[in-house]
Amino acid sequence: MDKPTIYPDQSRTTLKTGLQKHKVKDSIRVTKGELFLIFLKAGLAFGGGLGILAVLEDELVSKRRAVTREEFLTIYGIGRIVPSGTMTALAVAYGYKFGGMPGTVIALLALSIPVFVLTIVLTIAYHYLRNSRLFGLLPITIMPAALALIVVAALKLGKDIFRPSRELIIAGVAFALALVVRVNPAIILLVGGAVGAFILQGNEEGKTTKKKGGGR
Amino acid sequence: MNLWRLALLIALFNIMTFGNGPVMIPLLQTHLVEGTRVLTEDQLLYAFTIARVTPGQANFYVASIGYMLYGMPGAIVATLAIILPGYIMIPLMHGFEHLRDSHWIEGFTKGLTVTSVGLILAAVIQIARGTLTQPIAWVVLIAMLLMTQLLRWNIFVALATAICLGLLFKWLP
Repeated sequence: MDKPTIYPDQSRTTLKTGLQKHKVKDSIRVTKGELFLIFLKAGLAFGGGLGILAVLEDELVSKRRAVTREEFLTIYGIGRIVPSGTMTALAVAYGYKFGGMPGTVIALLALSIPVFVLTIVLTIAYHYLRNSRLFGLLPITIMPAALALIVVAALKLGKDIFRPSRELIIAGVAFALALVVRVNPAIILLVGGAVGAFILQGNEEGKTTKKKGGGR
Repeated sequence: MNLWRLALLIALFNIMTFGNGPVMIPLLQTHLVEGTRVLTEDQLLYAFTIARVTPGQANFYVASIGYMLYGMPGAIVATLAIILPGYIMIPLMHGFEHLRDSHWIEGFTKGLTVTSVGLILAAVIQIARGTLTQPIAWVVLIAMLLMTQLLRWNIFVALATAICLGLLFKWLP
């Protein structure tokens, strides 16, 4: 259910040259009504970011041919470095492309309404639960299950790093600093990013054997 | 803590984590649960569960936190705080495409991801200390991990089963 991890390399999916690129005529437009419906459909998609992405790809690239596959991947790639959710960035991008500033509002509203409404309804349910006898059951039902889901999210994010690697050392140091030394996670996160910018850039697949001696 | 301070914190955390829902958990846990104590661990966990069972973007559970603390205005402000940075997309599309290929940004986001794995797991342990006080809770946690990771069950099925399991243990003699 995660949004895609923020590893950029997946976004640079290599293009199958020539054959799969459809030439898109400038005349193909997406009206504001269609924009709303497309993003509403995307907003109803389960599976987080990837689910939404699949809907957008289907509607914009495959069905309508309003966007070339190449452009779709480029916009996705840019969206990943925007500091909001990637899908929020995509709504802004396509809203702007097809409807200017009003388009961005339409796309964002359509994308956000389903999740917003459901979130609020479920939160209100929590308030009712709180005043009922059922509340005492939360610590042995939903709470541990939620904790498991957080673990799952971490494992998913780190699926490539649980092997001897520099990444594992960084993750381990971050873990220890947060849990034992109790450094503010915001600081650890920024330092981790900065360290990554220096030592994790551009190292691709075949580095499984590398093992650095210590985390200083 | 007031509404605007909450909005500022959420906006900041969202930007720092590139809008990644799970990665925000350690930050929210430190600042809202441990630091200012405006939120309980239960509330944070419940909000995160909502994010897992709703469609759409995974970072929208901050709307739930906003609602818990300040009602509807809180929910709307929290949502705006995570949506508005999306507009950075427009200048980026206008000629800054080379940023995508920057090795620095690639390294930075990798470092962020890797660090956050450690941070999330640390946060899990901290939260567990406060919430997993009964043995049944541990059973449910482990069962949930098995169902989602090993058996690869659908999240709704797994969640429903986990809840039933907890109730079953509670009401068994």
